[in-house]
Amino acid sequence: MNVDLIVEALREVFPAETIEVRPVPLDEVFVALPPSCIHPAVRLLVERFNLRHLSAITGQDLGDGIELLYHFWDGRGLTLRTTLPLEATSIVTLTDLIPGAAFFEREVSEMLRVSFNGHPDLRVLLMPDDWDGQPVMRQGGGE
Amino acid sequence: MPKMTIPIGPQHPVLKEPLGFLLTVEGERILDSVLRIGYVHRGIERLCQERSYVQNLYLMERVCGICSHVHTTTYCQGVEALLGLEVPPRGLNLRILLCELERIHSHLLWLGVLAENIGLTAVFMYAWRDREIALDIMEELSGGRVAHSANVIGGVRIDMDAEQVHSVLVRLDQLEQLMDAFLGVIRHERSFRARTRNVGHLSAEQVLRYCVVGPVARASGVDVDLRRDAPYAVYDRLHLEVITHDNGDVWARTLVRALETVESLHLCRQLLTGLPDGPTAVRAPRRVPPGEVVSRAEAPRGELFYYIRSDGSEKPARIKIRTPTLTTLITLRDQLRGIHTADVPTVLAGVDLCIACADR
Amino acid sequence: MLERIVRWARRKSPWILHFNTGGCNGCDIEILDLLTPRYDVERLGILKEASPRHADVLLCTGAVTRQSRDRLRRIYEQMPVPRWVVAMGSCSCSGGVFQGGSNVLGGVDQVVPVDMYLPGCPCRPEAMIDGLARLLEAIE
Repeated sequence: MNVDLIVEALREVFPAETIEVRPVPLDEVFVALPPSCIHPAVRLLVERFNLRHLSAITGQDLGDGIELLYHFWDGRGLTLRTTLPLEATSIVTLTDLIPGAAFFEREVSEMLRVSFNGHPDLRVLLMPDDWDGQPVMRQGGGE
Repeated sequence: MPKMTIPIGPQHPVLKEPLGFLLTVEGERILDSVLRIGYVHRGIERLCQERSYVQNLYLMERVCGICSHVHTTTYCQGVEALLGLEVPPRGLNLRILLCELERIHSHLLWLGVLAENIGLTAVFMYAWRDREIALDIMEELSGGRVAHSANVIGGVRIDMDAEQVHSVLVRLDQLEQLMDAFLGVIRHERSFRARTRNVGHLSAEQVLRYCVVGPVARASGVDVDLRRDAPYAVYDRLHLEVITHDNGDVWARTLVRALETVESLHLCRQLLTGLPDGPTAVRAPRRVPPGEVVSRAEAPRGELFYYIRSDGSEKPARIKIRTPTLTTLITLRDQLRGIHTADVPTVLAGVDLCIACADR
Repeated sequence: MLERIVRWARRKSPWILHFNTGGCNGCDIEILDLLTPRYDVERLGILKEASPRHADVLLCTGAVTRQSRDRLRRIYEQMPVPRWVVAMGSCSCSGGVFQGGSNVLGGVDQVVPVDMYLPGCPCRPEAMIDGLARLLEAIE
């Protein structure tokens, strides 16, 4: 996978002030984008570059926002990162482009209270039947 | 014919780990299934934010008992990258030696479990008897059969002398000869083929859609293996053959895993005969500078993914673990649709579930 | 007289049921190892049973998670009396390395009464055989 070609394509499509590219060990490139650009960016990755392998979706609570990291891989790693504001933790689902994202999004949804609009089945994945609904991975969450 | 709902698990003879299934059945055919996991969810990602990097080593080891070494390998690889440490070559060789021995033990374990689910209890007994060779070697090296604690941040804490190397090489030869019997059963035994061929079929397109990794993907013709495509540790210096097959059914997965076991034996031999001299570890500071890292390794079940973020303290700010079993769990709904109820144990065993890994 | 025969039969063939309530699988594979040729507990009369209603001894592994708690209770209640519970491995004794986890309640004794605690992470097959032999002596 030629990461540089992909980054160049992303820079062409998205305005320069919205995109930020950074190398990260081990052999990864992290591209930061606003939440509304994630679905179009993934569509570009899938349709133009046939980059379909999503390793994982990481969610983390940064205190002032919830950060989502979409980790792609095709020989080298490319991660798209976006930050959701605390008062609006929702984003469009990727399952229409990559069905394999279904379980990853379910887990982020229950651990961090993020809703993925358009997800076919956002039932709990790991939380027990008597879960009180508190997102465990939010800062201050968990017993 | 009326539809029935049959629950399977969390306690069930075909399941080695708690897992819940609700199967909608019409006669003998499965129409649909609903999966329930989370019985083994221990909240590890949350726990590791409250412990130091060294304490987390022992926690990462116990995410899964079968692939514990590769979890610590991926974790240490990530933390060492954040610290800017370079593990000495001897340490890397020994680390990967244990990774490959673990792959051998995991695949033989799985072969036994599949055979028991099908009813071939003899193969279960033989596979687990031969697996003891690999466990003995790991125990001699590290002191533990299942949880080795061989990795430290900065290298490994184990070492070998020339006599041990020779003794291990002899036993690896023995194990390779014993593998011939299993390959014979898989290739030629008619009842085994009848139970596993055309069961649990996944096409290459399904594998790519669901982002499946590991032997399940390779058995459906998708040629991907992190050891060759993104070599980490010493894999760039080893000769490795990636085993793929086109059938995409449980039989193909069995063949792929058995051949991978033989390939791992070859890798172990290369690692031992080319064992460089020198130290096995470097000292690692307790405090990790701020940064983030993505670390991947090829676990016995596929791509193991770690994302580690450090905020400059002694405790990690975030560790995200994505285990390979989570990717194969999505495919179970497709695999179970339309099969006979008698084939359910075969399909469940065929994907090599490790629910402890998936739930964390 | 009948009492003595029944007690003798119970001691000579304890049938086990294995249930993983939330462990890493390390102890579970060591339990399965007991059945394989190197350790071969069938010579002690131990058979691994499929249903709780056929079992005498419940081997629990793993810390009890919130999701597993009710299932463990139900399995214990389905076992016919007399029944014994063995907590195998440090996690089922006390929660082990997962103590404090958000979903983890602790050891198995939080849910069912335990007759024998076998520590170890994982518990070695030799320790398991020793523990089971001592349990059988205690039954006598």
